[in-house]
Amino acid sequence: MKHDPMTNAALELSLSEIAALSARATRGAGRNWGEAEEAAEATCWLARAGLNWAAALLEVLQHPDADGACALRTGIALADSASLSGIPLNAQHRIDSPCFLLPFIARIADQTGQRIKLTAADMQVVIAPGACPMITGPLHMSGPTLVTITSCQRNSPPCPDWPQAHRGAVLATEYARLTQLMMAFTVPTSANSQAGAGAQGDDND
Amino acid sequence: MSCEGLNPMPQARNFRRSPDEVMRLARMGCSHPTRLSFLRQLLRRMDTEGWRFDRPVWEIDANGVGRAVYRAIGPVRTYSLVAFAHDLPPEARSDRVIATAWDATFALFDGTPTAADLDRLKANVPLQEAGRISARELSLSRANRSVRLFDHVVERLANGMQPDAAMLLETGYLMRTTAVYGSGKFGAADRAAIAQRPELSAPFQAEMLSVWLTRTFTVDLVEHLARARGGSRAVRLAPELKRGLGVGNSTGLGMAPFVIRHPVLLNNWMLAREEALARVRAQTGVGANELAGFCVALKEARENADLWTSAHDLQRAKLVDLREGLARIASHVAQDWDQAAPYPWDELWRWGQNSLPMEAQEALLAAMLEPHGALIDGLGDCMDADEDTYFPINGAIRVGELRTIVQAQYGWALGIDYTQPAQCARFWYVSEDKLEPRLGERHCEPGAERELPLDTARQAAAFWLALRDQPGDLPVAHLLLEAPEHRPAVRRVQIAARHPFAEIRDNLISADMLPIDILRCKLAFFGATRFDPRSVRWVRISLFQGAPYPDQMNGDVHEA
Repeated sequence: MKHDPMTNAALELSLSEIAALSARATRGAGRNWGEAEEAAEATCWLARAGLNWAAALLEVLQHPDADGACALRTGIALADSASLSGIPLNAQHRIDSPCFLLPFIARIADQTGQRIKLTAADMQVVIAPGACPMITGPLHMSGPTLVTITSCQRNSPPCPDWPQAHRGAVLATEYARLTQLMMAFTVPTSANSQAGAGAQGDDND
Repeated sequence: MSCEGLNPMPQARNFRRSPDEVMRLARMGCSHPTRLSFLRQLLRRMDTEGWRFDRPVWEIDANGVGRAVYRAIGPVRTYSLVAFAHDLPPEARSDRVIATAWDATFALFDGTPTAADLDRLKANVPLQEAGRISARELSLSRANRSVRLFDHVVERLANGMQPDAAMLLETGYLMRTTAVYGSGKFGAADRAAIAQRPELSAPFQAEMLSVWLTRTFTVDLVEHLARARGGSRAVRLAPELKRGLGVGNSTGLGMAPFVIRHPVLLNNWMLAREEALARVRAQTGVGANELAGFCVALKEARENADLWTSAHDLQRAKLVDLREGLARIASHVAQDWDQAAPYPWDELWRWGQNSLPMEAQEALLAAMLEPHGALIDGLGDCMDADEDTYFPINGAIRVGELRTIVQAQYGWALGIDYTQPAQCARFWYVSEDKLEPRLGERHCEPGAERELPLDTARQAAAFWLALRDQPGDLPVAHLLLEAPEHRPAVRRVQIAARHPFAEIRDNLISADMLPIDILRCKLAFFGATRFDPRSVRWVRISLFQGAPYPDQMNGDVHEA
């Protein structure tokens, strides 16, 4: 996709483009394939919710998880355990990119059929099964933050419906950075592969 | 969706082939299109629902340059193929994905485009990958002329003559598409945005509609150029010659990983076809109409096999098998088939399994399905997949249960020594230049450390080893905390437990793996004919040959 590097206008990507870019960028950043697939699923969820999926992913990828604060890894572990031990109620985690936990909390809500509240500093997010997140307070995209996960009262306000759009915006600078990470995972096409793919012939027959 | 619980013919289960038989590349590489193929589903729906078609825009000049719009008007929604015709110098004509210019470029628009939409598309569609389309577009594609035939047809029509029928049969199309992108590619609408529409719920319906309307454009274009050149002398293409033309397609490795990365979808395609075969085999008699329809299908298969040529040794050998096999089927049906047997179709099938090469067995399958529309067409509704449902990993599943699943579904993968050079000779990767999947040679090309996780057999075997020393009651969530590298394998194993046709049961990185076998299987589900490999990595095929045109859709639907 072409863009003008001199501007930082928002670009719009389809969800499948977001998934492909996220998976490849995550792999390019040195994460394993399992994390790459989960990151792609998570960024699509964030995009559908109208959240800044690219900034959240970049925040995750710039931290190597030396201290267990990676939202991606924590989210995966929490979601994997949901069918084993239910909602990790009142669990507290110190997380670098709290926003990136939301897709995994949503999965836990889906699996357990319960509403869940995530609190990170001034940000409060309520997620009901299958619903769009209801967010109050400023979004916490970065910085180590203490995150608390609790169950949510049934009489709390209803969560909004999902928007109809299946797209996601990304700033040109974020797109460029993710593309740079993605390219680290690509391989130059060999001459042998090009030839086998028919590149040496023309089409005038 | 899974239709298992709704199966109206549970007794057919006893006649199903096993995944160990069906999911081998050698057999998948002999796949033939059937009446469940996606283009057949599209044509049936449009005919049943009485779709209308028109061409509200035709702004093509005497040199064949300009734009056109074709509309398919369904009961609820309208879709428009927006076509741009270009003046392409011969030296720029390449049918591989590396090309940057084409004879014609297309987008399938959701609705009827306004003048502003057309201007926006004109600025982007001709650029293909270098341009940008929007959520209003469902596909992006391009096509090149089959130059020799295209020029011949224009020349003949301009001079008041019909083209040489043998030439038309030999090539089979005036243009061939070199890529048909959908599902969110280059900004197009995501599959999820349209999958709930009944007319697009079956796989690849937007892409099939785009190609079908492209076929009409190719004929309109040659007739237009003939008129421009020949004036009043020019004639239109004879209907019987026109009907035999399809749209060619060149395709390569890029589409192969799709079926590996979408195991639930692959399962649903294969399961629908296998269930269809099982239902036919479970019939306790041969109806007169079914017998007649089967004989017609067999005759058409033989005619198609006679016209089907290939320059590739592998495919030439298969064509010999196919022609000989179809002749033997015809002979057996005429002389020896016991139609009074308790399960006559099953008896025929069993005879074929014991007597025919694989290529002819799969052709027999297609012919047996053909006259049984009422019995099997509903299975087309089961060929899509809600893949998101199967993405989450069930962390509570225990190691002991996973061992049982791996043994049952991946036994074929566990005995291979993946340290042997031949068993890990290849690696799949994403190319730096086009971001397309490619296949590298592990032992002599760089980049294996950036391998795509398409080594499904090796992953399963590694996961099997990881399970070996673990306690049987350990939840997999705990195992993954210690060994996160097995996460993709865990997901596939959990999917395979409920989807027995989810995995190609061969080593996809071995030295003798043929990518064209994957391509042929996928293309057969599309409905492609005349499979013609140009190497083991890319092929040419034809779509919609023999199918009706839009102006033939009301009443006269002899299906492709």
